[in-house]
Amino acid sequence: MAPPRTYRCEAIILGYTPLGEADLLVTMYTRDQGKVRAVGKGARRSSSKLVGHLEPLTVVKMSLAHGRNMDVISQAEVTQSFAELKEDLTAITKGQYLAELVDGFGAEANPNPGLFQLMIDCLRVIEATKGRESESASDMPLRFFEFHLLQVSGLMPELYNCVECRQELEPDAHRFSPNVGGTLCLDCSPDDAHLRPLSLRALKVLRLLDRSGIVEACKLPVDAGLADELKSLLSNTVAYWLGKEIRSNSFLERLHKESQPEVYI
Amino acid sequence: MTQENIPGAAPSLARLVQELNRLPGIGPKSAQRLAYYIIRLPDEDAYALADAVTSVKQSIVFCEECQNLTDASPCPVCADPRRDRTTICVVEDPLDVLAMERTRTYRGLYHVLHGVISPMNGVGPDQLKIKELFNRLERPELAEMVVATNPTLEGEATAMYIRRHQGREGLRVTHLARGLPVGGSLEYTDETTLTRAFQGRQEI
Ligand SMILES: [Zn+2]
Ligand SMILES: [Zn+2]
Repeated sequence: MAPPRTYRCEAIILGYTPLGEADLLVTMYTRDQGKVRAVGKGARRSSSKLVGHLEPLTVVKMSLAHGRNMDVISQAEVTQSFAELKEDLTAITKGQYLAELVDGFGAEANPNPGLFQLMIDCLRVIEATKGRESESASDMPLRFFEFHLLQVSGLMPELYNCVECRQELEPDAHRFSPNVGGTLCLDCSPDDAHLRPLSLRALKVLRLLDRSGIVEACKLPVDAGLADELKSLLSNTVAYWLGKEIRSNSFLERLHKESQPEVYI
Repeated sequence: MTQENIPGAAPSLARLVQELNRLPGIGPKSAQRLAYYIIRLPDEDAYALADAVTSVKQSIVFCEECQNLTDASPCPVCADPRRDRTTICVVEDPLDVLAMERTRTYRGLYHVLHGVISPMNGVGPDQLKIKELFNRLERPELAEMVVATNPTLEGEATAMYIRRHQGREGLRVTHLARGLPVGGSLEYTDETTLTRAFQGRQEI
């Protein structure tokens, strides 16, 4: 029998579950292979050389061997640990939010290097802005991520012309639906349960997310009302394509609520 | 796994295989092997197994104090007057209590969370025994809480949540030292562990 073929890859660890006595079943997103699920043999023993190299939200260079059922991790070495991000609970939770979405949108044997890079870029910005309440409450890195997740997945919403009548959108309030693929003018009213209002300033932010890099986008001053509209719009659109709710959302919202100073009237 | 996977198997056997297959770490092949093993057992051994499963479900309860699994609440540790009541060690699950007890170095009390905060899996503070922990922290005799969750991302995040939300003033909150495992090697140690091991270096 020929020896098992091995390959090397660069991956972001998304999560893992225990398998058997001491193994881990690791879910990761690789630059060149898309989503990969592989076994870390003995990885739960503290003496394993894999221990500490398979934690979620870590970028790892690894060697894998093709197995009969599942690939096996033979070597793993951390190249980016995001150690500072991992000192902050809210930042960790945001990272887990990204991991849940990459797990949901990423497909096995379907590489998407743009998605790989997007997650790394967003983790970097979350790390750099951690603990700054004004920026962390508006969650712009997450909004940037959601917008570009749709883009790299080929689900980019239309922002310039009405998706029904193709008229160029006037600078005005409009409506939006993931179901029809983006923005609608006020004259077009298809029968669509996902239809929702879209303010002009939210539309402007979406267009800006389209044109600008993450660092620039995350510097945008966004008040609480606009932040809420963008969150509701983008995370609902992502959940629509995901076909289920984003589970990390409820804990993230809870952290935001608990970190808000109490107001005495 | 369904009956079609085992051609010719009796429905009762297929059902047993199916139930065993649901256990963690048991794949379809192992489930079949175990099922045939159980069939070949003497009657009384097989009934003893079934009875053990039934009675564990009927008699095991959460300890009203530490939330560990026990036959009678409070559990033997909480009921033991020789245990040090000024310290609570917070662990993820009941097996961690056994591991700590094996060291014979810790004489305080425990609190079992029954998991860690795992937002992606829909596990938040309300799904764990965190409220019960915060209630216990109000006891005036308590001087220290040792947060002994696993040094994994989710274990650390859970420790941070507990640290951030416990409101008791004057309570010493500690966690276990992070460092090199016995039998490990520097070469294969990840940088986070190595950094912490270096920060925690001691005189020799
Ligand atoms: Zn129109
Ligand atoms: Zn107890």
